[in-house]
Amino acid sequence: MDSVQSDKLRPRAAHKPFHFNTSAHLLRIGRERATNLSELLQALRTCSEHSVFQHTFRTLQEHHFIREGFSNDFAHWAFSACNEPGLAERLAGVDVRKFTSVQAVREQILQIVEEYIRSNPRSRERFVDEPFYFCAADVVVLPTPFVAHSLSEFVDGLAHVSVHSIHHHFIEARLRLKLTSNDFSRWLEEETDLREAARRINRIDIYTATMEGVRRQMIHIVKNAINQEPDGS
Amino acid sequence: MEAKKQETLEITEMPSEPSRQRSESAAAAPPVKPITPTRERRRKPLSSQAPTAPVPPPRLADYASIIGNAELDELRFLAGDLRGKTVKMVNSTSVGGGVAEMLNRLVPLLSELGVPTHWEVITGGNDFFEITKAFHNALHGGDYHLTPEVEQIFLTYNEQNRERMQFGEDMIVIHDPQPAALIRARESTHGKWIWRCHIDLSNPNREIWGFLRPMVEQFDAAIFSSPSFARQLSIPQFLFFPCIDPLSEKNKDLDDSIVQKVCSDFGIDRSRPIVTQVSRFDRLKDPVGVIRAYQMAKQYVDCQLVLAGGGASDDPEGAAVLQEVTAAAGDDPDIIVLDLPPWCALEINALQRASTIVVQKSLREGFGLTVTEALWKGKPTIASAVGGIPNQIIHKLTGVLVHSVEGCAYQIRFLLTHSEFAQQLGKNGQEHVKENFLMTTNVKRWLLLFRILNKNQPA
Repeated sequence: MDSVQSDKLRPRAAHKPFHFNTSAHLLRIGRERATNLSELLQALRTCSEHSVFQHTFRTLQEHHFIREGFSNDFAHWAFSACNEPGLAERLAGVDVRKFTSVQAVREQILQIVEEYIRSNPRSRERFVDEPFYFCAADVVVLPTPFVAHSLSEFVDGLAHVSVHSIHHHFIEARLRLKLTSNDFSRWLEEETDLREAARRINRIDIYTATMEGVRRQMIHIVKNAINQEPDGS
Repeated sequence: MEAKKQETLEITEMPSEPSRQRSESAAAAPPVKPITPTRERRRKPLSSQAPTAPVPPPRLADYASIIGNAELDELRFLAGDLRGKTVKMVNSTSVGGGVAEMLNRLVPLLSELGVPTHWEVITGGNDFFEITKAFHNALHGGDYHLTPEVEQIFLTYNEQNRERMQFGEDMIVIHDPQPAALIRARESTHGKWIWRCHIDLSNPNREIWGFLRPMVEQFDAAIFSSPSFARQLSIPQFLFFPCIDPLSEKNKDLDDSIVQKVCSDFGIDRSRPIVTQVSRFDRLKDPVGVIRAYQMAKQYVDCQLVLAGGGASDDPEGAAVLQEVTAAAGDDPDIIVLDLPPWCALEINALQRASTIVVQKSLREGFGLTVTEALWKGKPTIASAVGGIPNQIIHKLTGVLVHSVEGCAYQIRFLLTHSEFAQQLGKNGQEHVKENFLMTTNVKRWLLLFRILNKNQPA
């Protein structure tokens, strides 16, 4: 990324600095596997929350470079292995940003699969080519060298941290905050009073943009906000 | 060009104690095997006539231009908590094969990160290695009857190695089944023991697996290359995808003049589309099926087919397959069959980079690192949905999966006539490799695993 320092980006002091962290993940291979939709339901009910997290929140990070056509592992499996495009579409519509707990995501997915099987009973036991293997992510949170005491430092951090850091603060944060928001928007709102920018960042569509695209949109929003609200510090 | 010719050999660094009764001849320089061009007009590139001296492995900082400083910072931070911890890697060969190639890069990188890592190779007689080769085939599903004599030979050599080696490190990593019985040393050690299984155990011979399983379940953790390769075990299992080194001869960025030179030498016309499969001449790679797919596609689109591989001169079956391939190719001047010696990594790299499309139409496959190599080079890739390939190719997003000759032929036609879609596949595929299948990601997985196991260490 290019350096984003410019004359217009006047440093603004924040009460509390923003510490850019990131997270690293290691995959465990789980015991559960599914060779049809019935087994998927059964495994979904009993698998760990780490497993649901992996196949929804985390997989989005693993495929951060894909702009369209990938939402979560369950939707992908329903489409490519089960040949159930109707179910795949419904599962792909599960937007992780609406959830503040993994359990709620699990319940939503269970509901979709149960309803689909009720409407399409023959799909329940239909054997698939490739089983669904449940995995789970062990997460380690790491600091980065980037700490923002001002908006210019914030933009600089956004420009230079890894996409894993963007994902950590923008997507995974919901599970920590228990709010349908993210670390970036919270900091902008609480520390710099850039409420509109915070709101716009929270509305960025992660399902139609790559994570690099998300990064670019965030920088654009914050830079615009600084130019429009020069006395916001 | 002369300078480049000196770099042709894949870099190898010997482990610190490569003592092995059988390895004397294996470690010697392989016989020079000339390239076999199938057309008179093809010259023999001088660079591929004989292996050249190895060069030192890359340093961590060399990867900055590929993965970025932020990623390197993550590795350094993860390693920080492990400072002072020591690691031993044990496998059965110091040269040849994907495991040795990977350890050649992994060991110095972990050590540079402040996690001193020591690599040892077990020794054994021909009887031991014949048995372990049979085990290897049986674990892939082949027939084998395990006798008490075979068990005894396997355990005796492992016991000899156990007595010879020290296991004072904090993490002991045993690669594959050959040294698995070293776990018997565990009682007298303080370290965590990890079994890294590089082979597909989805359908193992029951007798062999029944013999090995009690040993495997004494480890603290097992690692597999794909969820589909794993078994149900009582110990934690982790997923480590195999990886490629983006700085190796086979994968490093090449100046276009080198790509052009290699193509000129082999008689490949870069002004026309090039479809390539890189794999040894083995029926499981279905090279004849690739020729049939090319022939079907060629009725609609102009292209050349390059089949580049090896194994025909030192393997009777490989020679037979090469004959079948040559017969199937007939007198089509646009089918270019190259039997390359194993040290032609640079030439393989250039051929992959020159390709418009890369194909891997295997009937059966391990993880399929040739697919990883093609994706890393941003090439639209068509591959069979077998083995570990579906981990790499997400259909129509990072490449195209096929199940038949006809499917392969159609996708060749489609990708050659829809360049924008093909380019997007290539771009996504490259990012997929960057995220999941590079050596640096592998280093990160090891550091994470060591941290996790270290945290579980009793006080």
